[in-house]
Amino acid sequence: MKFCRLIPVIMVVLALPSCKDSLTIEPDNKTVVNGYYDSAQKIEQAVIGGYVDLRRALTANYAWLWYGEARAGDLQVAVDYQQTILDQKLTSDNRFVRQLTDWGYFYDVIRDANELLDVVNNSGFLTKYQRNLYKGEALALKSTAYFYLARIWGSIPSAEKTDMGKLLTNQEAVTLASTFATEAKGILPWMLLNDDGIESVAITNVRFSKSAITTLLAQQQLWLGKTQEAYTNLTGTFNNVPADSLSSFGISSGVDRRTELPAAPLGAAVVSLGLDRLNAIYPSGDTRRTSMFNINTTQNKATLILKDATILELLPKREINLLIAEAAWRTARLDEAKTSLTRAAAGATENYNALTDATFADALLKERRRMLIGTGQRVFDLIRFGKVPAFITAFSEEDVQKGAAYWPLSASSVNSNSLKQNTYWSTK
Amino acid sequence: MKLSPVIIWRPIFLFIAFLGMAADIYAQDTLKADSVVTANRGGIENILSGNIAGLRIKNWSGTPGAQAVINLRGLSLDPTSKSTMPLILVNGVPLIASPSDINGLNPLSYYTADQIDRIEVIREIDRLAAYGVQAPNGAINIVVKEGKPGAIHVNANAFAGANFLQNMDSGKDAFYNFNTGARHAVYGDGGFINAQNLIVDGSGDYGSYLFGLTNHQDKGYIKGTDFGRQSLFLNARYNITKKFSAHFYNNFALANRNGRYAGEFNREMLLPVVNDEGFMMDKNRNVAVLSSMRLAYVFNDAFKLSSVASLSYDASSRDAYVPSDILGGKIYSLSATLKRQLITLKTSLDYLHSFGDDLKLNMTIGNELRTNDDRLTSVDGSRSLESGGSDFVKVVTGYNASQTNAFSNHDVEKIVSFYGTWQWNYKEDLDVNMVLRADGSSLYQDKWALYPSIGVHYDLKRILNVPVKAEVAYGKTGMLSRPDVYRGQLSAYGDYFGGNELGIGMLYPAFADAKSVDVYQLDLGLAFRVLPRLNIAINYFNKDYKNFTYQRYQPNIRGVDYVFETGGSLGLSGFELGLAGKWFDARNFSWITNFNIAAYQNKVNTLPAAINNTSIAYLGNLSKGDAVTSLTAYEAGKVKVIGNSEPEAFGGLNNTIRYKNISASFTASYAWGGKVVAESFNSNYYADLVGNTFPVKATETPYYYSSTDVNGRTTYQGIRAVEHLSFIRLNKAALTYHFGAALKRVVAIKDLQLFLRGDNLITITKYGGVNPEENITGVRRKDLGLTGTPLPSSLVLGLKLVL
Repeated sequence: MKFCRLIPVIMVVLALPSCKDSLTIEPDNKTVVNGYYDSAQKIEQAVIGGYVDLRRALTANYAWLWYGEARAGDLQVAVDYQQTILDQKLTSDNRFVRQLTDWGYFYDVIRDANELLDVVNNSGFLTKYQRNLYKGEALALKSTAYFYLARIWGSIPSAEKTDMGKLLTNQEAVTLASTFATEAKGILPWMLLNDDGIESVAITNVRFSKSAITTLLAQQQLWLGKTQEAYTNLTGTFNNVPADSLSSFGISSGVDRRTELPAAPLGAAVVSLGLDRLNAIYPSGDTRRTSMFNINTTQNKATLILKDATILELLPKREINLLIAEAAWRTARLDEAKTSLTRAAAGATENYNALTDATFADALLKERRRMLIGTGQRVFDLIRFGKVPAFITAFSEEDVQKGAAYWPLSASSVNSNSLKQNTYWSTK
Repeated sequence: MKLSPVIIWRPIFLFIAFLGMAADIYAQDTLKADSVVTANRGGIENILSGNIAGLRIKNWSGTPGAQAVINLRGLSLDPTSKSTMPLILVNGVPLIASPSDINGLNPLSYYTADQIDRIEVIREIDRLAAYGVQAPNGAINIVVKEGKPGAIHVNANAFAGANFLQNMDSGKDAFYNFNTGARHAVYGDGGFINAQNLIVDGSGDYGSYLFGLTNHQDKGYIKGTDFGRQSLFLNARYNITKKFSAHFYNNFALANRNGRYAGEFNREMLLPVVNDEGFMMDKNRNVAVLSSMRLAYVFNDAFKLSSVASLSYDASSRDAYVPSDILGGKIYSLSATLKRQLITLKTSLDYLHSFGDDLKLNMTIGNELRTNDDRLTSVDGSRSLESGGSDFVKVVTGYNASQTNAFSNHDVEKIVSFYGTWQWNYKEDLDVNMVLRADGSSLYQDKWALYPSIGVHYDLKRILNVPVKAEVAYGKTGMLSRPDVYRGQLSAYGDYFGGNELGIGMLYPAFADAKSVDVYQLDLGLAFRVLPRLNIAINYFNKDYKNFTYQRYQPNIRGVDYVFETGGSLGLSGFELGLAGKWFDARNFSWITNFNIAAYQNKVNTLPAAINNTSIAYLGNLSKGDAVTSLTAYEAGKVKVIGNSEPEAFGGLNNTIRYKNISASFTASYAWGGKVVAESFNSNYYADLVGNTFPVKATETPYYYSSTDVNGRTTYQGIRAVEHLSFIRLNKAALTYHFGAALKRVVAIKDLQLFLRGDNLITITKYGGVNPEENITGVRRKDLGLTGTPLPSSLVLGLKLVL
């Protein structure tokens, strides 16, 4: 055999395995990112992933209550670091408090949403409804996360590709959130469809719909002081809409193996309201004392009646009239504001028709406190209405000016982002 | 049976000749298996122990079938990582050599010393680079024996003896000094150890053959932890034509070890842990095969083509059951299987060319395919007796998923390589070796990496008339970074509403820059003959490891829990000195000595910024120049380096003396300068209860570890002592009587030897425990994680027969 005859054979043998494909292994025990999203169902999984991450951001260690009612003392959460937060010692070394100062979970939501937008934009197989819904939900999730971040920490870094890491002022951050919400509002449906193409109340209640995104956008516009825009947004969207098209938005509690997530976030075993506080908020005769609470006089506490324990409501339908009332009042439409407030506050003992421009704010804040208890908005409302020192007595007006109402940054945020604590927390 | 004429002294001459070869100028690189004392314990690494400069064999556990830590100029970010292990080859094909993760049985125990011809240790970069990313930390090639000329030869040997613990002091034993009652229940009176080997071989024009079967049983020292191994092997070469030959090698092995709860199953359990251990079961079973087929074709004097395909397969299983009296009313069972396979195909073309009389070139080009495929499945579960369990039921089936865990994993990895070696020889004095290798790995998006190296070897004997050889080599290899991260990974978050919908999100994003660790190595060597009977070899090397892959935690704005990045660099350098002396070599008396010593230093060159947010935060207390293997602890609230777990120097001494028919050999190994941190069994405090200060008692050292428990409370763990691990150990010793003269008239017997052999006979050390090498990480933790069982001594009497 001549050697030269073998050369082509050797060349072929050597060349065969050298192509890149032969060195690419498709793993059968894990899911790689490339090429995964090839059906509407898989993209929907990513949407659900965003909601699950939002659930973790809000419910891990009862975070949404600590950022909201519980921090102001309106709800008690039976955990051993409760007093630390009530004392506003938010730079405490307690590991749960430290975890609450960490914003990573909210950025997980933003990351999910941005991934989802990429995926949706690059998939040609979605129907128009699916494309609009998934894109709208991604934008709504992102908007929600930025809005929470800005309300909890004040000034926050951007996680958008164009200016990753750039520090946004509170106004810039909420403005960014509102642009996403505005875009989402244009494409989200009133009611979501189930797999059979039938409108489903159950699904609509745990995912973003037009009602939810409009509510969220109105909150953002009011936060920014864009009162006329809020009024136009709310009335333009909700006027003349049949009641059965409206929906609340809440976080569904499903199966999750992550142990830091409470199975029943508002469950009576952990979350309660002291009777003194109940009496102070809901005067005798207010029907909501009994419609919203189970009162246990022996234990001297009240616990929340949960209509649907599987959903943690964040943007309930009942807030719509409160928001319309606020937008109308802030745009000098006092009569319309009073009508909306009265309509919203069914069960109250007060007569809101007698309100004046000067007394309206307190009444509205009072009703928001009563009606939205458990949704985690209390401290944000106090900030927005400039009432933090009145209800959180640990802080003076000067402290609030320095940033006391916001949460301190976690050590990891300070270390790896070279961010600085605000004036108040840097001295703690 | 045709028998060759009996020459009584021939075996002894062969014996001496082998020793003479061992004392050759390359003594440090090749070890003839017949020239050294073999060990009673299974595991080929025990033969090498103390015999090769720079090869550290750390016998950390006395459990039979456990693999010693093997390190040959190896370093990685994690000193306990398997990645520091050298590549192990058998006849040049790679072997799955690391112990299985589920039962820890040692694949190097599948072979016996009797079937090994020699062991080559490869560590100079201009030879190592030819193995590319497979061998960043050296390579050890086990070359097995082939059939000797003649129709048939029979070689049989057997030995039997016992393990024993010398002067066993429960106060010294890492496990039982806080549970002496358990010690009496668990330690035996000395476990039986025995082995039988039978090898038949021959060769002729047709080729050669050698086959054998072996049995090795070691009852260890802890009751019920007996280890057994049986193997069957064949090494055959067949000359199909004059130019075309086939070489087939196969080693099939079964290994098993029974385990016992105490000190093995889980050492972190609360006391008292040992009772009579009724119903305890821990069965470990391995089935392994190494098979290779080499085809070689010689075209002419210049061209040769060879191709070798190999399969290394190791299936290990573990079935364990823990009864209720140990787990406080619960029973627990586990069944796991890990199947590992490694397939390689290597094809190469050799070309020999002479450029005139002075300059010659030996060129090889080839390619190599390597595929690893590991599958793991396991099921475990527990049940309390109250919910229907029974001590007599040894398999738990959970009522629901929360009682039973099932796990399955599958990892595949491929490497495709092309390589070329060019060996230039000028006037037989000057050798220049050039190696270029390209490795493509399935682990990375950018698959290919190039590894060049060059070495110059100069023999000065002819021009300077001095018997000195000098060498210098420099090159680059790589160390694989695991796992496959370049495509990112999605993770399921669990059911969302109604149990219908799965939430999916990113576990980590794609890391396109994933690549191998770069290893740059410089070698300098000098070998010379000081006296006619004394050879000395001195090597210096310096290795730089750059660009490790690690995780950076992102509790932050990137929105993922971690991302991967590369960075950091470590350095390892050292001297190795080997001395081979043949002091006497007369007809009735000979004396041969081999001495070796190595002094290594590893250090941190650079570490990533903000290291505390990375997966290598445990190195965060080290600064540039500190040893990677530093031991750090708190003292008065500040972290400081309190020692180095690696010794300053280590090595061995080997002497063989023969007087007439009696020969005696021993191998000692030693190390000095390293430290061991021993945690105290009874100084563990909540920091707030002791006023955040330490020490609390006068008997404690000022050093302590600080950690946070599940409730977020800071805990101080006191350190009882920082001990020296310096030791010298009489590793192996043998006394052999050759019945040469007495068997003159017995025609059929070529040689008969009676030997008495001991392992681990004497250890001189100041270390407070039983075995100075028992702590893998240099820390004797309170829970004894990564600390081995006592290393027993053993003494056996054996007979070797050659027909």
